[in-house]
Amino acid sequence: MANQKTHKIKMMEEQLAKKLNRQVVGSLVGCVHCGMCDESCHYVLAFPDDHKMTPSYKADQVRKLFKANHDWTGSVFPWWVGADKVPLSDDDLETLKDIAFGTCTNCRRCTLSCPMGVDTATLNRIMRGLLSHVGVMPEGVRVVSKDQWELGNQMGVLKEDYLDTLGWMSEELEEDLGHDKAAILVEKKGAKVMYCVNPREVKYDPRTIKEAALIFWAAGEDWTMPTEGWDNTNFGLFSGDDGLGGVSAKKLYDKARELGVDKIVISECGHGFRSTRCEGVNWAGEGEPMPMESSVMTMLNYVKEGRIKVDPTKNPEKMTFHDSCNNARSCGFYEEPRELLKLVSMDLQEMYPNRAEGFCCTGGGGAMSMSEYTPRRLESGKIKVDQIRATGAEVVVTSCHNCVDGLNDLIKHYGLDCEVKQLVNLVANALVLDEAKKPAEEAQPGDIAVTKVAGEEPLAGRKILVVDDEEDVRLFLTTVFEDAGAEVITAMDGNEAVSMAREHQPDLISLDLSMPGKDGVEAFVELRKTPETEEIPVCVVTGHPEFRQVIYDRPVAPPEGYLGKPVDEDKLVAYAHHIIEHREEKAN
Amino acid sequence: MHEVSPALHTAEVVHWIALVVMAIVYTLRIRWLLSFNLGKDKSAPGNPTQSDKKRGVRYSLFNVAMPWSMESTRKPKGFVFYLSFVIFHLGVVAGITLAFVSTIAPDFLRFPAVGWTMMFFIVAAFLVSLYRIARRTLRPLMRLISTPDDYFSLIMLTVWFAIGAATQAHLMGIWGVTSDVVQIAYLYLTSFFLLYVPFSKISHYLYYPFTRTYIGRALGHRGSYPVSRG
Repeated sequence: MANQKTHKIKMMEEQLAKKLNRQVVGSLVGCVHCGMCDESCHYVLAFPDDHKMTPSYKADQVRKLFKANHDWTGSVFPWWVGADKVPLSDDDLETLKDIAFGTCTNCRRCTLSCPMGVDTATLNRIMRGLLSHVGVMPEGVRVVSKDQWELGNQMGVLKEDYLDTLGWMSEELEEDLGHDKAAILVEKKGAKVMYCVNPREVKYDPRTIKEAALIFWAAGEDWTMPTEGWDNTNFGLFSGDDGLGGVSAKKLYDKARELGVDKIVISECGHGFRSTRCEGVNWAGEGEPMPMESSVMTMLNYVKEGRIKVDPTKNPEKMTFHDSCNNARSCGFYEEPRELLKLVSMDLQEMYPNRAEGFCCTGGGGAMSMSEYTPRRLESGKIKVDQIRATGAEVVVTSCHNCVDGLNDLIKHYGLDCEVKQLVNLVANALVLDEAKKPAEEAQPGDIAVTKVAGEEPLAGRKILVVDDEEDVRLFLTTVFEDAGAEVITAMDGNEAVSMAREHQPDLISLDLSMPGKDGVEAFVELRKTPETEEIPVCVVTGHPEFRQVIYDRPVAPPEGYLGKPVDEDKLVAYAHHIIEHREEKAN
Repeated sequence: MHEVSPALHTAEVVHWIALVVMAIVYTLRIRWLLSFNLGKDKSAPGNPTQSDKKRGVRYSLFNVAMPWSMESTRKPKGFVFYLSFVIFHLGVVAGITLAFVSTIAPDFLRFPAVGWTMMFFIVAAFLVSLYRIARRTLRPLMRLISTPDDYFSLIMLTVWFAIGAATQAHLMGIWGVTSDVVQIAYLYLTSFFLLYVPFSKISHYLYYPFTRTYIGRALGHRGSYPVSRG
């Protein structure tokens, strides 16, 4: 009885049979256990004594299942080919979950190092898919997948919030430019371009949407953003769930057809590009995929065709370029970003190895949503940190939102003195507008300062509770909010924050996460569960952006904002202003 | 064709029968692989300026001869392993050649240039096999990923190389190897080898053209093959 397979294992075996095609079977039978893939993996390099990090060991987990069920020798003499060590219990599945999700970002670097051409990353994705099929996956993956299934985007952004953010960015553009010609048009039928974004942009970094809008307007593009099918990301790529992958991709394709656009432009997101442009077509069974391109290609063409003018001297810092694994290794997209970067900046220093051989930022494969593996992930990033450090760059440029988060985490964790930017930031900053298009005021394109609210004490009459255990941070935040006209009260820990929120009923709480005593996460949950405070908006301001999933996993409404330290003053005020206004609009 | 003892004759017949069986089983193996659907990538070429399926396949198939094409064989440690890989597999080719040619044209193997060339590759492969046994048994990583089949296949080939070297010496009349027992043993071992291969990891060479073609076509289509470095 002890050796009997559980129902879940049997379901996985059935599911495996459905995932087998010639390429997959080739990779399953082709491995000779030569160990040549070993040092291609950033996990191996970070944990040289833990041999279970080696790619072939990870791939063997699904290989054993295959051999035990489909291979001649493995079916008759399983012990001879290692097929006797197949998972039998649900506890075994937890171990497999840790291997497939926690020790591999599916970056595909090992695939390129295999003499036999075994696609180990694909095998790991299959294992993820088998586990997801029986409900065994990290909580973060479960939550994100659920959001993508139910709400059509992986961060659970509500339609009203999405549209509100687009409106907010349009208003800012109008304030910057002095006219509303650059406003973001939603659902414009017959536009040439449908622009789709990563929900991270809507939720954490709307500046990139504003910058893209500015560039589209400057290029005279006929473009639009959809109300549905706007999420270019696809968690099916990470969870291994081809069903989710197909449904999510199809939403986008169908919307583009409905709007009658000529092409889909995908914002700078590695996994978004790969899943929408490449894999989604196969998952969704698209017969004739419509034209799709990365926004990097779009911007590059604008510059090359003279549709926009750029001044590279506006980006004089020493920069290096980090290749997203999905872009470079799985989509061959590595020269164009460099070409554009050279056109809009002054000093590019390559890191080595690069392009298709570049190392993962550690944020790939959905790793950012699996907080339980964060310490291991950060440690595995040492090779990437060493690469960046060797360039002496002040700015790491990348064309991927996961990479932005992954690299930012590494920069903070290892104390690197540099920042991460995307090409859209640099192009917007380098943009030279024609006389006719120049803003009436002195506001600079790409400048995210909220000029209107800054000039009018945007937070006048507001009461803000600043919660942080570090005195200098409290002082900084207090000064910024007070300069913007707010009345500020402060708390040093979670307990004090909850009691002060009850007593003072602030318009906004700025909440740190990592604090002694009751930490920010516990305090946040209590605030949300307490009737007197549940409606008070919360903006998390933390030095540990990698904890974001911890808070988003709580069974309460998510925070209204989330900013990483060091926080930009203008951005902080803009967020606070926006959050409070949005809350009031909702209340009314 | 040539005069042999009854025992050696029997070994030769068994050897040829084993070859026929192996050919049948290999055919079945390939049929089995081809029974799975070929996954098709319906996406547009990943990068119009770089995408080329055929070029990707060519690059992928021939990267075995381009140690600079993969990081795993480009680095000094990897390059040493690559050299051992080359010698090992040339030794296998020499060993197979020895088995077949010795049954139909043994005199050819007695030409000094041919004989010593064969001997060089077989002995070199034998030495590499010893290194590989040490590598697989002494390195914890290799022990972790190795199966009984991995060990057995390697040990079997090592013994096969050793007896092959003795057989070649017998054919050349050197090193005092006068009995044809070694040649008989070599042919029986080769027969076993031929029968065992389709069921073991050694069949990887059967799959090699397929796996390399598939990955070459996939990455060639996407534009990341051939690998470009800056």
